[in-house]
Amino acid sequence: MNRRQLLRAGGASLLALPFVRLLERRAGAHVTPTTARRLIIYYYPDGVPGPSSNGEPSAWHPSGSGTQFTLPDVLASLAPYRDRCVFFRGLSMGGTDVGSHPGGAKKLLTATDGGNGISIDRRLATTVGASDPFSSLILGAMANHNGASGDKHVSYVAPGVTVSPDDDPAGAFARVFGATGMTGGGGGGGSGPDPRTLSVLDLARSDLESLRGKLGTTEKSKLDLHLEAIREVEQRVGGVGPGPTATCENPVIDAGGLAGSALYAPEKFPQILRAQMDLMVQAMACGMTRVGVIQASQHTSELIMSRFMGTPMYDPGFDMRSHQASHYGASHDLAHREYLAFKQQATWWIDQLAYLLGSLAARPEGEGTMLDYSLVLCCTEVCDGNTHGHDDMPLILAGGGGGKIRTGRVLDNGYRRHGDLMVSIAHAMGDPITYFGDSSSGLLPGLLS
Amino acid sequence: MRTRGLVVAVCLAACGGDRDGTYDFNSHGAALYQQMCSVCHGETGEGGLGPKLLDTARSTDELRGAISARMPQNNPGQCTGTCADEVAAFIKEGLTTRALACDVVPPGPRRLRLLTRSEYAASVATVFGTGAPAMTCAKPSQCAFRDSCAAGTCEPTACTEQTFVFDPQGRTLASVHVAGSFNNWPGTIAAGGLPLTFDGASGQWLGTFPMGEGSHQYKLVLDERDWITDPRAPASANDGFGGSNSAFTLACTATVALPAETRPAGFPFDTDADSAVVTAQHVDAYLASARPLADHAAERAAELHACNWSGTPAACKRELIGKLGRRLFRHALEPAQLDAYAALELPTAVHAMLVSPHFLYRSELGVSRDGRFRLTDHEVAAALSFSFLGTTPDDTLLDAADRGELAEPSGVERWARLLLDDPRARTQLGNYALQWVGGQTIAGVDKRADLFPGFDATTRRALADETRAFAAHVAYDGSGQFEELLTADYTVVDAVAARFYGLTGTGKVAYDGTRAGVLGHASILATTAHSDQTSPIRRGLLIRRNLLCEDLPPPPPFAGGVPDVDPNATTRERFAMHTDNPVCAGCHRFIDGVGFGLEHFDPVGRWRKTENGHPIDATGDLTDVEHLGSGTSSPYATLPELSAVIANSRAAPACFVRQYLRFSRGQRETLAHRCDRLWVQARFDAANHDIRELLVQSMLAPGFRERK
Repeated sequence: MNRRQLLRAGGASLLALPFVRLLERRAGAHVTPTTARRLIIYYYPDGVPGPSSNGEPSAWHPSGSGTQFTLPDVLASLAPYRDRCVFFRGLSMGGTDVGSHPGGAKKLLTATDGGNGISIDRRLATTVGASDPFSSLILGAMANHNGASGDKHVSYVAPGVTVSPDDDPAGAFARVFGATGMTGGGGGGGSGPDPRTLSVLDLARSDLESLRGKLGTTEKSKLDLHLEAIREVEQRVGGVGPGPTATCENPVIDAGGLAGSALYAPEKFPQILRAQMDLMVQAMACGMTRVGVIQASQHTSELIMSRFMGTPMYDPGFDMRSHQASHYGASHDLAHREYLAFKQQATWWIDQLAYLLGSLAARPEGEGTMLDYSLVLCCTEVCDGNTHGHDDMPLILAGGGGGKIRTGRVLDNGYRRHGDLMVSIAHAMGDPITYFGDSSSGLLPGLLS
Repeated sequence: MRTRGLVVAVCLAACGGDRDGTYDFNSHGAALYQQMCSVCHGETGEGGLGPKLLDTARSTDELRGAISARMPQNNPGQCTGTCADEVAAFIKEGLTTRALACDVVPPGPRRLRLLTRSEYAASVATVFGTGAPAMTCAKPSQCAFRDSCAAGTCEPTACTEQTFVFDPQGRTLASVHVAGSFNNWPGTIAAGGLPLTFDGASGQWLGTFPMGEGSHQYKLVLDERDWITDPRAPASANDGFGGSNSAFTLACTATVALPAETRPAGFPFDTDADSAVVTAQHVDAYLASARPLADHAAERAAELHACNWSGTPAACKRELIGKLGRRLFRHALEPAQLDAYAALELPTAVHAMLVSPHFLYRSELGVSRDGRFRLTDHEVAAALSFSFLGTTPDDTLLDAADRGELAEPSGVERWARLLLDDPRARTQLGNYALQWVGGQTIAGVDKRADLFPGFDATTRRALADETRAFAAHVAYDGSGQFEELLTADYTVVDAVAARFYGLTGTGKVAYDGTRAGVLGHASILATTAHSDQTSPIRRGLLIRRNLLCEDLPPPPPFAGGVPDVDPNATTRERFAMHTDNPVCAGCHRFIDGVGFGLEHFDPVGRWRKTENGHPIDATGDLTDVEHLGSGTSSPYATLPELSAVIANSRAAPACFVRQYLRFSRGQRETLAHRCDRLWVQARFDAANHDIRELLVQSMLAPGFRERK
């Protein structure tokens, strides 16, 4: 079976079903504390049905506190994983800066106003991820739609400089797993280091180093990023061993028909997002990377979610876009078309999170499952989609993090900056930083065990 | 004229000025001002939505206090402490008539510019010539079977589509359609045959259709009578009737692609140098795409370089590497460089050169002379070629650089004019114009297929080509003046675009009075509309930002949220709340009033008389046309009137200069680039806004050649 057949087989989720039932009993198994082995950041656009401008409470945040809480309808699909999740109250990105959506997207993973810092995935890529075949994997689902400008992206490789996510699942699959589906990509392709590629990279590096000597600071830092990229590929092609692995079987994603204009056709979006999630989970299971971002769409999204067949949102006669629905009006009124759609959209985004968590929980690892050793951060750039608030951010941290995270609770420390969550995530990943971004004060009390 | 003593006396220690005594606009305070203040107070503090700050009488302390307490207006508290100190100091020292005088044009920044995806593809074609993956084309039949001809370059069609081309060789036909295994071999178009459209410009019949992966057989049917095989088909198969069918296979093979360019918000072009950094995915893509190119070049070594390959293979290899290396690196390889590459096997050497930073970045570093840097002749050659032709310099231009012909402005000017006569310059000018108005996204913009049938891939391509061809026509065949881009009473269409608009004829075709210039193009009207309805906001913003360079303050933090709207109202009625609500009105009074004037054009840019049975009110007012806050009124009732208001403004040609320099220089300008821009603008104005003159002068500006 060649790679294309694998890509088109599309049987992965079906094959995995018996596992899910089998492993439900094992989920939450006590894991000897270690560090989190991997982090997946899952971003979706345009906020949630939070507190309305008429003063209704959030329809998204769980009610209750500590371990005694109730999931609202929107989060219902997380019920099987509620003991593996932490929900937050009081985490703020600071004052709602001008532009709210772009301002929020800039701060979300950098915890720095104006995106004037690196994002947490980038930090971890250069520390705990630096010796993996891929220091990080930045995947997207229509994240570059309509020639998106940089402020639509959430991963920052340098202050003010974003990374365009890879929106093509088949291309990304080829990059990670190579043409055969089992070996590392990166131009090598076959088994064992490819001497030609190594020579090419060697010369590129020496040319870069000599060029670097002629430059001022700004351009030097540009070439430093280039050098780092060369080193990453060099070490991968040279045969660096994979990071910690879970069950790594024949990798497979369903990327059938996902090419060319189909990559930006709204009706294909659910398949694209699922393919990227499947790819991320398998790349991590096979130890290819331990830091991943899945950026679903982009802020102020034009994604026509009413074209998703087989969902409650489906309406071929009316185009309901994400950002359009997010401005649902003054109150949580289900008789109102936009609010109904926005609630359905918010629910759908969480259903996809549940799918991702389910995929991790379906793979045995160590004393439990991949989910026990992983962290998944679910985030969006504003709280309520209509009022654009940056307080009480709708963040979820899921996964046991190798026993590092005290899950199954609503964590409420009163007003705290969300940079503290980034500090805590870094700690859990084995990178004990004391601050992150421009306004964190340290670890979030009560999160780490 | 300069009174250096006075300037030094005024700012002495605090200025951060350089040795010329001028203020250094690269200061942090200047950057903060541009980021947070200039949108209301003006780029040079001239005032607008906010009060004038130029030559302010207020003290630094007063400014600092006001900034800390009340600024920015929409969202105070964003700039206190050091930020307020730096901004106040900048206002006091930088926003002065003296500091802003352009007695001396400061040097531009030394920089490396990563090739864009399109520059990369075009450069490879330039270096390796025919046989390389990307080829130039004048008509579709010159491209490979799986390629289509877009903007003068053969581009691979998506693997889910197939483009069919038939060259009738002068014969007049009523119809050509495709019948095959994918549509059950229909004998007529009515029965489901895929109809090709006659393209007057190329004299060929064309059509692009969605097609599944797998093997397909087909025939072309002329006038629904003559079944013929396609002379361009890559294969044939027995048709079971003693003849043969044309055959092809579609397969979507995944490749590691170069990541999409990123750019600052509001920057319309793919050329921003500061955003372009190399990630591991870039390196993977460079490695993967260079491999077949290098192998192919090594196989064609004898063809690429005439030499006694059997007698002196090592010397021949070294010469070929030197020859390709000079083209790839845009200057002759230094002996040590040549040694390093020649030590490798030929395919490896070529592969390595294609992954080297000397190929992947355009150098604008210059060499040091008297403490300043000056671009080398070869760097100027590269800038000319990439800016004007979209590709790396060819041997002729490199030879001219070798001979020193680009050392002086007169030589640069001569070569600039020569290059503008190259057919590729028309294409590149078209590419610039399309990005200027944001039209390149027409290929992927969502539209309801049931409401807008026929707005397919072929049509979208034709509409993008319309804008390219139109801009080139104005610059080369029309008056050459910028204003004609807006006021032209014609457009330039192929048969597909003509059919879309309901126009008769191809090439230069007169409008019917409802449209004028580029604003009449569907490439703008469709990309600034939603999938099922228009968006006066997006259309208004396009005019403000792209055509007038008027940036708007970002929306305020939206404590109130958007109120409920009446779904049964017209688009114009529904958006009226923006101007009824005082919070929204602050900005939307500048946006919506402009966009309303285009309401006669539906979401794909076709003319409509009514919307949902309601008559359309397409009167508008382009207020504050010269700058926001100026309070002027320019009412209009039709698109040609709106276009005339824009064309007659001072803001529009000044903005065109700004946009072209953004594209060509690859940077979002700051005050540090202002004198450079004004230098170019003065010459553009003196040349009656001649577009080609703008291009030439951009390369002659002292701030372009001098760097620091």
